[in-house]
Amino acid sequence: MLTAALRKELLLQWRSRSQMMAVFVFGAAALLLFSFAIGPNTEALRTFSAGFLWLGLLLSSTLTLAESFHAEMENRALEGLLLLPSNPHALYYGKAIANWLQLAVLGVALVPVMVVLYDAGTTQLLNLLLIIVLGTAGLSAPGTLYAAMTAQLKAKQMILPLLLFPLIVPALLASVKATSFAILGDPMGQATSWIVLLLAFDLIYWSLCGVLFRLVVEE
Amino acid sequence: MNQGVVTGGWEFVWAAYSLTAAMFLIYGVSLFLRRKGAKHDQRH
Amino acid sequence: MEMPRVSTSRTPYVLLALGVACLLTGSYFGLFVAPAEEYMGNVQRIMYVHVPTAWNWMLSVLFAFGCAVVFLFKNDMNWDARLEAGLEVGALMAFLLCCQGAIWAKPTWGVWWDWDPRLTSTAVLLFSLLGIVALRHFVDDPVKRAIWSAVATIVASIDLPIVYMSVKWWNSLHQQQSTPQTVSSQFHLPLRVNAFGVLFLMIGFLMLRSRIAAMRLQHELAAPPVLTGEEAGELA
Repeated sequence: MLTAALRKELLLQWRSRSQMMAVFVFGAAALLLFSFAIGPNTEALRTFSAGFLWLGLLLSSTLTLAESFHAEMENRALEGLLLLPSNPHALYYGKAIANWLQLAVLGVALVPVMVVLYDAGTTQLLNLLLIIVLGTAGLSAPGTLYAAMTAQLKAKQMILPLLLFPLIVPALLASVKATSFAILGDPMGQATSWIVLLLAFDLIYWSLCGVLFRLVVEE
Repeated sequence: MNQGVVTGGWEFVWAAYSLTAAMFLIYGVSLFLRRKGAKHDQRH
Repeated sequence: MEMPRVSTSRTPYVLLALGVACLLTGSYFGLFVAPAEEYMGNVQRIMYVHVPTAWNWMLSVLFAFGCAVVFLFKNDMNWDARLEAGLEVGALMAFLLCCQGAIWAKPTWGVWWDWDPRLTSTAVLLFSLLGIVALRHFVDDPVKRAIWSAVATIVASIDLPIVYMSVKWWNSLHQQQSTPQTVSSQFHLPLRVNAFGVLFLMIGFLMLRSRIAAMRLQHELAAPPVLTGEEAGELA
């Protein structure tokens, strides 16, 4: 049941991959604008590159998350899905995993942009990948829950970030700190504790939001 | 600041106390006004 | 599902009066009777409003969380009315707390804002609460609104300790701030009296605000008027 839901989500995403391209361009444009806001100060740009990357990802996520329930809102497909003898958990986790994948791919795609714009290269690529995977998981779990809620509203574009942004502050802090250590160096080995915090955040929210999802979509 | 001792600063103290009092007062008044409005709606 | 009831007891008014009386007494003691603190001088007197506000704010958040959980289990709209009150009062107190904190910070730390874990966590939760209040405004169906705000409140409440911990961690890598950890006995009286003062005020506010919410819910959930035979005939 979960695999069926996941397959459907990934298929939907593959079919709308041109939208993914647009979101990538949005993210890259955001990173570019951040560099203009700081100015040609290479030291500052490098120091804050992790922050910019994650801010860019966060802003892009409002686009991808809001869109993720678009298909379900047409022709009342959501109700139809819930009437099937499948459980809402499969629907939630299928969506959340698909959103996670989408954001992780976006994150990885934005890394070269970051490297070029901010001179923020790093050799710790596996580490960076781990942080992106865990960080985007932290965005995706609550994001999918709130997307399900706000998709049913008229003002969805406004409300989703309003609800999501305060919530994911710990995940954002941890991701930025860990990424920063990967780029700028980590003499005292502090990155691990941030990654552990990220992991804890992910575990808590992937379970909590899964439990609460049913309440948010039933009539 | 000398030797880590803060001198004076009464204006901050007054600011904090009056802000607190003002916010509680304004909120209380807003509750009364809204209560009148809600009761009025109920009549219909 | 339980329909909302509007209470008419006098208790909130009594509590408000008691609260004001306590606050006036406690503040008098705090401002004019208690001695100035050793290092912070008179500025430290802000503690007599700031700490009571902080304690009661945490209670209001706990209250909102409790209402959300109870509502989801019991499906009783009275708990949604109380949740509405808890969210608003919680947001008010969080905002007040941030302002008081900034006013205290300026003379003691030299800046209006700092990334102190408590200030930061409070600000984050303030935005969370405002977001949920905004959500309520955009949902017309009262039952959906109740369920969604309960879910959002639970999610935000569970986040609060995580935010606090992560900011504390983050903050400890930058600088240490000193705040009065031990409070000597001379300072106890105004602190306690004001704490009760804010508590009584807060409970009074919560009760009154719940009534307003319950009244509106009654209005929204009321069945449409039954037509008499004549009126029904006219429509046919």
